[in-house]
Amino acid sequence: MRAIIAIILCLCTSQAFSQYYKEYDWAKKPTLHELTEKEANESSISILEKYVVEYVVPKFGNKLQKFETTHTIARVHDEKGIKTHNTVYISMYDVLNIVDIKARTITPDGKVTLLNKDNIKEVKNVEEYGDFKIFAIEGAEKDSEIEVLYTLEKEYSAFGRETLQKSYPIKRLEYHFIHGELPGRVKAYRADSNFETRTYGESTGKQLILENVVPMIEEEYATPKSNKTYVAYQCFGPDTNVTDDMLWSNVVTNITQGMFPATVHPEIAKIAKTIIKDETADDFTKAFLIDDYVKTNYTIVQNNNEQLSDIDYIVKNKSASDLGIIKVYSHLLEAAKVEYLPVITSDVYEHKFDSEFFNPIALREFLIYIPKAFKYITPNRVDYRLSEIPPNILGNTGIFVNNKKQFSFYKILQKDQDYSRVVRNMNISFEDDMEYVQIEQNQEYYGHWAMNNRAYLNLAPEQAIKEFEDYLTGSGIEDKVVKKYEVKNKEMLQLEYNKPFLVNSAITSESLLEEAGDSYIFQVGKVIGTQSELYQETKRVNPIQMQYPNRYNYEIVVNIPQDYEVEGLESLIIKKELLDEEGNQKCKFESNYKLNGSKLTITIEEFYKEFEYDIAEYEGFREVINAASDFNKAAILMNPKE
Amino acid sequence: MTTSYLKFPVLLLLFVMQYSFAQKNPSEDFRFLERTENIKIHLDKGNFEIVKNIHEKAEYVTANKLYFANEVLRFDSFTKIEDIEAVTYLPDSGKKLEVDYIETKHEFDDGIFYSDQQTKNFTFPGVTKGAITDLKYKEVINEPHFLGLFRFGTYAPTEKAVLRIEFPKNVEIGYKEFHTENITINFQKEEKKNHNIYTWTTENVAKFSSEDDAEAALYHLPHIILHIKNYTENGKTIPILNNVNDLYSWYASLAKRVDESDLKKVHEIAEDIAKNYSTDREKAEAIYNWVQENITYVAFEDGLGGFIPRGAASVCKNRYGDCKDMANLLYVMLNHVGIPAYRTWIGTRDRPYLYDEVPTPMVDNHMITATVIDNDTIFIDGTDSYVNFGMPSSFTQTKEALIGISPERFVLKKVPVQPAEKSKTVINTTITFEDGNIKASEKRVMTGYERVDFVTDYLYKKKDNTEEEFLNTTLALGNNKTKYQNITVSPIESKYKELTLAFDLQIENYAKTIGSKTILNLNIDRVLSKQKIDIETRKYAKKIDHQYQKEYTTTFIIPEGYKVTSVPKPIKFDGKDYGFDIHYEQKDNQIIQHKSIYINTLRVEKEDFEAWNSFVKKLIKAYKKSIIIEK
Repeated sequence: MRAIIAIILCLCTSQAFSQYYKEYDWAKKPTLHELTEKEANESSISILEKYVVEYVVPKFGNKLQKFETTHTIARVHDEKGIKTHNTVYISMYDVLNIVDIKARTITPDGKVTLLNKDNIKEVKNVEEYGDFKIFAIEGAEKDSEIEVLYTLEKEYSAFGRETLQKSYPIKRLEYHFIHGELPGRVKAYRADSNFETRTYGESTGKQLILENVVPMIEEEYATPKSNKTYVAYQCFGPDTNVTDDMLWSNVVTNITQGMFPATVHPEIAKIAKTIIKDETADDFTKAFLIDDYVKTNYTIVQNNNEQLSDIDYIVKNKSASDLGIIKVYSHLLEAAKVEYLPVITSDVYEHKFDSEFFNPIALREFLIYIPKAFKYITPNRVDYRLSEIPPNILGNTGIFVNNKKQFSFYKILQKDQDYSRVVRNMNISFEDDMEYVQIEQNQEYYGHWAMNNRAYLNLAPEQAIKEFEDYLTGSGIEDKVVKKYEVKNKEMLQLEYNKPFLVNSAITSESLLEEAGDSYIFQVGKVIGTQSELYQETKRVNPIQMQYPNRYNYEIVVNIPQDYEVEGLESLIIKKELLDEEGNQKCKFESNYKLNGSKLTITIEEFYKEFEYDIAEYEGFREVINAASDFNKAAILMNPKE
Repeated sequence: MTTSYLKFPVLLLLFVMQYSFAQKNPSEDFRFLERTENIKIHLDKGNFEIVKNIHEKAEYVTANKLYFANEVLRFDSFTKIEDIEAVTYLPDSGKKLEVDYIETKHEFDDGIFYSDQQTKNFTFPGVTKGAITDLKYKEVINEPHFLGLFRFGTYAPTEKAVLRIEFPKNVEIGYKEFHTENITINFQKEEKKNHNIYTWTTENVAKFSSEDDAEAALYHLPHIILHIKNYTENGKTIPILNNVNDLYSWYASLAKRVDESDLKKVHEIAEDIAKNYSTDREKAEAIYNWVQENITYVAFEDGLGGFIPRGAASVCKNRYGDCKDMANLLYVMLNHVGIPAYRTWIGTRDRPYLYDEVPTPMVDNHMITATVIDNDTIFIDGTDSYVNFGMPSSFTQTKEALIGISPERFVLKKVPVQPAEKSKTVINTTITFEDGNIKASEKRVMTGYERVDFVTDYLYKKKDNTEEEFLNTTLALGNNKTKYQNITVSPIESKYKELTLAFDLQIENYAKTIGSKTILNLNIDRVLSKQKIDIETRKYAKKIDHQYQKEYTTTFIIPEGYKVTSVPKPIKFDGKDYGFDIHYEQKDNQIIQHKSIYINTLRVEKEDFEAWNSFVKKLIKAYKKSIIIEK
């Protein structure tokens, strides 16, 4: 009897509705598409990428249905192009039912090879991504077209997101968001055109059509991944009126549960006493000690164990999820009477937070702000301790939640603009009858520089530490011999605010001194290490994002041998700057020298007060960056005195 | 019967040094107190059940490497992981915390599209400075050919490592130690009523850290490989892996299961290609080129399917396959047109073993095709899309190939090292000096592995960078301000023997003009200048991917109104394995620099580091020398 009812239900639904995905199909007789000469020169090009998200209200029952259809046609021209398109991974996350998966290849001579569905493999619980269906495209040879079409019925969820920009060009891109009578919103980011309303049979929705989507290119000082074109949407049940404010508020309530404990967990209260021996210490000291304690006693675990957010379990096992660990901090900070605000945001290199369009993908990073110290705890970064905001978050918007569970959005910025800087003093002499150069160097690293150096030397594997020590004694000097290398203030636990990490070193090199007849060319520029050079043959795509504001002050003393005189010092004078509208320096590189007898003193000042620059400022910014690279090429000529 | 032996007692001093290293080095953050593997072999009517009981006890000396608490145990369709017991002890508080959550996962791998390998993942709770973790589990192996290997040393120092194997008396076990010269192993044989027990025990083994440009870990790490040689039942001895014969018969039995149906289409393609050529060599080359160009590498590792090539018809239709699929396709196509070809098993240079040492599947990880033309054995690797016919893939040089002649017969043959003259780059550069800047036009003609390496980098390392930026970072000519223009690359397919890369250069901030003098260094390519070895800290030999030669002719056009006032003297290094020669000649209005560099070895041994460094230092010295022109 139950079976009969089920069949009747099925018949009813399929008759009453003609959903878009059911009508949609690929061409019965496929043929190769026309391409321009430029398109034919690409390793591969997508002729069509079409995404359809369709929400359906079933006739019976009140469970909303959601269908997602993806249809792609790609032309592959060489081995690299084939490899880009011939393996297909379909995420089964939230998938209730696979309506259909099909794929085919059309070769230049018109032969069509249909995917044998028996060759679709299932892969369960992949890392943190869930289950997948995977298959390799059959019959793809050079100049073929690979076509993939699949429709998945997914568990109803109100939100979704799709990255549209890929590593290959796309000729035509369609995004269809079919929500019918349901309240739905869709937003395109960094797209060249807008969504337009249209009908889909009896239903309605919005479509976005993009032509010639270029691949995102890798650029330095940029966040290319989070600058990709993408679409995000929301769709709710019939007759609801859900606002973004409600969504944020709801999420804040859920996420911050247990983050403002009324009473401190008794076990944690005991621990807090052992960590913080001086209760009158300031918030910076207390929060630093707490951060150091958690990072040397707790492990963040990424798996599906739900207990990892339960405070009793966490305290017992010293293991927590990335959200659960915030609770440990909360209890400790509460016990130590340190004011704190949980912060929810995302990695700025992965996703740019948009407070005006709720999107759960934006809620990936959890931090704690200590307002009295103006500093952040970054729980999932064992390489960090209480500090200015780490570079992967700097500049993104975050939700700051106070202990009354009120929340506000702020752009997350650095408080101390002079936080990260490097001071280097060098003394250079020529030894053994001009055989080699000796460089004695004292370096002071502050802020993020210091944090990074400490993390390397304490946490990295041996080989990486070796490479790092090479960097600390001067990169890019190929025949360098390290005579002395000492570091100070290496420990991760540093309670004095912004205490510098110190390196004292001495190296020798023969290659810095080149021969030219009886004269010598001293490659003085190389002593500052390899400097990055920004090329730009093509138009800059991404605005500039530096890791953090930065400053360098170098003093290089060169002791010229008594029986030589120097020439060519003018190459040491470089000045490049980028000014704002009021004429203030936003960034600068300036080098100069003084010659006092046989003592040549070179000074360099380079700084970047801002970490973000508009794309229109790119040329000016590039000149400053490249000025350091110019200095790196500076050389002076030493001639024997007559 | 108990035997105990100490290997190489002269190395005792070294052992003491390692002992102190493992024990006292305060910079060690994590170490193993004990790593034990206890293998029990049961045999019941010809069916093996192999159970490894594994026990690992580790100490967190500091809190710096707490990420070691995340444990991953791998298994596949030949193995099962059972009875995991994982506990953390906290000596300070006397507490004991048990792992109560274990997840089974898959991993995506860049190289293998689909693998049946899965992982058991869990995290030891409560680890902090001083914590001791204790892990016990069972690995059940259902295939007697895979007894595996045991590492006496690993990525962290090991205080005590024990391997014990218990097996019925009618089973014979073979074993072979590798790189155990510098550690002391106590080996014991015990005889019980129904079974034998072998035990290897060692103490205080230093940790292994990898090094750049070094051979794979298995070339250095002390370890042992065990294998079941045979068993006797009802007076009959049944071989498993006694020797290479047994290994080969097993492989041959798997090869028999290759689907050989529907080969018509494959045969047609082979005939179609071959008919255009007259000699076997040309035919074989054309067929190899066809496979290189038309079959894309996609790897599947699925149980025994990982050992049985897919049928040639299916590979040909699907246009993809992994090494064994391509090896079999070539085998079918070549034989069909009358060229004798053989399926061939081989370990890449990552595997350090010989078949006779350990006749087990551990020796190989790859499959190729061997063909014999005019008494010349030619190794063909379908997975290398760009190597020319006649050369093996670079990563199989020096390796022993197991060539399957017939189901009963095989031949072992070493893949020859390809001499430097086969992989050559000839560079012709013309440099002019205009308005204080350097302009150059350069042509590079590459052959052999020099060509293959360039193509691979050009296709896959370039990523989203422009061609200019790619050349700037890979060739690094002049300085990092060098601009590359008018770049042309000749066709890359393997049917072309040479690849020509040409471009123009503009190098700013390179020549130094001071007063009337201009100083100019003609060594815009300073290849090998960063290759000095740090003799004090380097532990392992330096690996070189292939032997090669580079020949430069750099012509500087003396600008009008200038005269040459200084030209560097000739300089050379004449080693057997590596060397260079740089000399200059002045002719009319030109200064021509001739530079040749050769590398005739695949490895620089530790004892040769000094010599290698003298070579590099002398080369750097030569690179430092400039010409001077004056107005």
